[in-house]
Amino acid sequence: MRAHLLTSLGAAIFAAGCIPVQIQAPDEPIEINLNVNIRQEVIVRLERDAAELLDQNSDLFGGTTP
Amino acid sequence: MTRNFVLAGIAAIGLALTATTALAQAQDSALAQARASGLIGEQADGYLGFVPGAAISADLRGRVDQNNIQRRQLYTRRAAERSVSVNEMAAAVACEVFERPRIAVGEKYRTEAGQWRQRTAGSTIDVPSFCGQ
Repeated sequence: MRAHLLTSLGAAIFAAGCIPVQIQAPDEPIEINLNVNIRQEVIVRLERDAAELLDQNSDLFGGTTP
Repeated sequence: MTRNFVLAGIAAIGLALTATTALAQAQDSALAQARASGLIGEQADGYLGFVPGAAISADLRGRVDQNNIQRRQLYTRRAAERSVSVNEMAAAVACEVFERPRIAVGEKYRTEAGQWRQRTAGSTIDVPSFCGQ
């Protein structure tokens, strides 16, 4: 009985080992996300500068609109 | 004699300043008109752009180009002060333009994805993803 169990267990493990698992190399999504985060951080840091540029050069940009 | 000369100089400077201001206002209204009629619009890159299919006169093209050159000068100077790239500074200004917004109802704008949309009374503006909000 015990030997039988071991055999089926072994068969199960063996079968599992045979299931083809496809591993694909990621298409650099991690790097892209990182870039977006860094960029976002820079843009947020520049918010005050951007607002100042707009206020001081209203002739270059459209007027304030509600 | 010298006094007259100085007075004449002051008058000339005053005249030149008035002329410059008048010119700036004229340019402003021509661009504002073009924006209102959907010929040009704000872009997610921080510059003005031409709406595809719109009939752009040589005069308008020149004004838009001039405006963008002046914007680029502003972005470049501030970017150097903050040690960031010119494109990043331009993008930050674009975020302000899109979020405030400096795009009036009826005006067209170009999204981050490059599509032209029109701001309508009920709709929200498609703010670029890099604006972080």
